[in-house]
Amino acid sequence: MKNDFKLSDIPKRNIYEVPDKYFDRLPAQIMERAAGAGYSSPAPWYAAWKPFKLAMAPLVLLLVAGIVYFSQLRLEKEEPAVILATVADEAIMDYLSTYAVLESSDFSDISSLSKPETTAEFLNVSSKAAEEELEYYQLDTIDY
Amino acid sequence: MEDKEILEKFANPDSRNLAFNQLIRKYQQKIYWHIRKMVIDHDDADDLTQEVFIKVWKNLENFRQDAQLYTWLYRIATNECLTFLSSKRKKFFLPINDVAAELTEKIDSSPDIDGDEIQLKLQKALLKLPDKQRLVFNMKYYDELKYEEMSEILGTSVGALKASYHHAVKKIEEFIKQD
Repeated sequence: MKNDFKLSDIPKRNIYEVPDKYFDRLPAQIMERAAGAGYSSPAPWYAAWKPFKLAMAPLVLLLVAGIVYFSQLRLEKEEPAVILATVADEAIMDYLSTYAVLESSDFSDISSLSKPETTAEFLNVSSKAAEEELEYYQLDTIDY
Repeated sequence: MEDKEILEKFANPDSRNLAFNQLIRKYQQKIYWHIRKMVIDHDDADDLTQEVFIKVWKNLENFRQDAQLYTWLYRIATNECLTFLSSKRKKFFLPINDVAAELTEKIDSSPDIDGDEIQLKLQKALLKLPDKQRLVFNMKYYDELKYEEMSEILGTSVGALKASYHHAVKKIEEFIKQD
C-alpha cells in the first residue's frame, strides 16, 4: 500500500447485505414479539418519591424512637405526683395519724424512763438493798 | 410520520400498534446498520435489532421528550451492541484480539458481505479498534451524525469524540498501509 494513503481515497460504501425482503418482514416479526411482551405504563407521580421514602425511613425511625423516649422520661418525672393524686385523703390522714401515734408513744417511753422507780425496776434491786450497798462501799460519803 | 405524531399515537391504546409499526418502519434500517457494522454477522444483528425494538416498545411511554427519539433509539442500540460484544468475550474467555479475529474471519467467509479488496481491508482495520472508538468512527463516517448528536447518544464530550475520531482515522490509515 502506498505510503501517502488517506481514508478519503476509499469510496464510502456499505459492503454488508441482508437477505431478500428482510426489512419488509422485520416489522411484522417485531410486532409479533411485542404483542407477547407487554409494555410498561408510565410511572405514577408517587413513584418519584420512592427513593426519598427509602432515605427517610431511618429518619422517621429515629424520630419515633425520640418521641417514645422523651414521653417515657416525662411519665417517669410525673409518676410520684400522679400516684399521690390517686391516694384518698382518708388514707393519707390514716398514714399521718399512725405516725403521730408512734411519735407520741416514743415520747411516753422517754417520760417513763425519767421516773426513779423505772431505774430501780431497770436495776431489779430494792431501795433498801441499794442503800446497804452504798453504805458498804461508803459511796455516800464520797464527794464527786 | 413525525416523531411527535408517533409518540402521541403511541400514548393512545387504540392507535398504539399502528404508531409502533410506523416507528419500526421509520428507524429499522438505521438501527440495523448501526448494529450490523458493530457485530458483523447478520443473525446477531437481526437478534439485537429485534431486542432494541422490544425494549423501545416496553419503555416508550416513559420516554422523556427532552431528548430526540432517534438519539434515544441509537443509545439503546449502542448499549445492546456493547453488552453483546462484552458478553461474547466473557462467555468464551476471549481477549479483545480474539473477538476481532473471529469477526475478521466472518468478513472473509460471510455470503452477506460484498466488497472489493480495499473495502474489506477497511472493515478489517476497523475491527482492530476498541469497541467504543469503532462506534465513534461508524457514527461519524458512515452515519454522518453531528458530534453534538453523538455526544448525546454516547454521553461523551464533543471534544473527546473529535479526538477519538481523529485517532481512529490515523490508526485505520496506518493499519491499511502496513497490510
